Amino acid sequence: MHELALIQGILDSVNDASARQGGKVTRFKIGVGELAQFDPKLLRQLFADLTRGTPLQHAKVMIVPEKSRVRCISCGVTWDFQDLAKQLTVSDREMVHFLPELLNSCAKCPSCSKSYFEIEDGRSIRVIEVVLGA
Amino acid sequence: MPEDHQGTDFRKGMIRKRLEKVRKILLVLSGKGGVGKSVVSATLAAMLADSGFKVGLMDADIYGPSSALLFDAHTLPKEGKAGLMPPARGGVEIMSVDLFAAGKPVPLTGHGARQVVLEMLALTDWGELDCLVVDMPPATGDIMMALTSIAKDEVAAVVVTMPDRLSTTVAHRVLEILRSGRVPIVGVLGNMIRSESGDGPVKGGAAQRLAREFGVPLLGLLPYDSGVTEAVEKSSIRALMSTRFAAKLHESMNPYIGGLHLRRRKPSKS
Repeated sequence: MHELALIQGILDSVNDASARQGGKVTRFKIGVGELAQFDPKLLRQLFADLTRGTPLQHAKVMIVPEKSRVRCISCGVTWDFQDLAKQLTVSDREMVHFLPELLNSCAKCPSCSKSYFEIEDGRSIRVIEVVLGA
Repeated sequence: MPEDHQGTDFRKGMIRKRLEKVRKILLVLSGKGGVGKSVVSATLAAMLADSGFKVGLMDADIYGPSSALLFDAHTLPKEGKAGLMPPARGGVEIMSVDLFAAGKPVPLTGHGARQVVLEMLALTDWGELDCLVVDMPPATGDIMMALTSIAKDEVAAVVVTMPDRLSTTVAHRVLEILRSGRVPIVGVLGNMIRSESGDGPVKGGAAQRLAREFGVPLLGLLPYDSGVTEAVEKSSIRALMSTRFAAKLHESMNPYIGGLHLRRRKPSKS
């Protein structure tokens, strides 16, 4: 479950922001890109488990789903992940789950049939905002 | 792609933390493709593992990944609590985009390739390593800068070149970039060098001149060896290790291994 390593990495980054700027974290906002296909329930559970007994225990975690948009570099058309997802097999989805850029190895642009996308939005998990209090 | 808050990327912290457990990161570069950098990387990793070091091999050549093929590794990395567990072959832990792409082409922009390398470095649970050998992509841009900026103190570079003018010209640029980035250079390896008379001594004046110009050691001159092709055909790292090429690489690198300040974590086979 590589989600656990990613969530721990995010929490370390949030703690670093708190130490750097001096202040207690009151809330932080996490963006979860559609391409990585994370289970939101699992992420919530991991945040709850990994913050328990730490300085972040009482901080509010906001998890915001982010729609994925990819642009075909060849023809310039922009697609939602769902436009391309129907082309993917189970193992393709797994590959994209680990490394979202590998969408280029398994999906074709419905407009020009090329496999040369650039991810514009909703790649994977990221820290959007960290709010510190006194 | 949108960055994290305040333009940071939380994965860099993850990578830094993981690389704190790695004593030395050895970048194998050539600048130009096709000079045998991946075979040198794989052989070097296997050689270090045989010498009793705990070794990882990171295939950062996203456009032409070959480490998995050279070690006959095909399984998707297993997921552990601390991240992805790289499969081990011949005592070497391997991470490559090809373990995910399984032979499919990986057409990416420079930005996309950098994202893949950062993601693999952030997610791979190498544990404690004496040495992480990194098979670098032919280009000298994004990926090298990302690695050297995250793990500056642990990084050192080996530059591989063939004796022809095209290879040495590109290797010259790589050496200049390494020097300007203050990346320690272990030395230059001349590769695929043919002797003038069959089995006679190999000539590698171009590699020698390059090393002299930059004031770095000429680590050695590796012969052109058809045995390498046969070993690669079989995806057999053991066959590769028994070639003349590997013997010469061993002889070339041995004096410098001590200078890498590695520490054996497991008993040596010899």
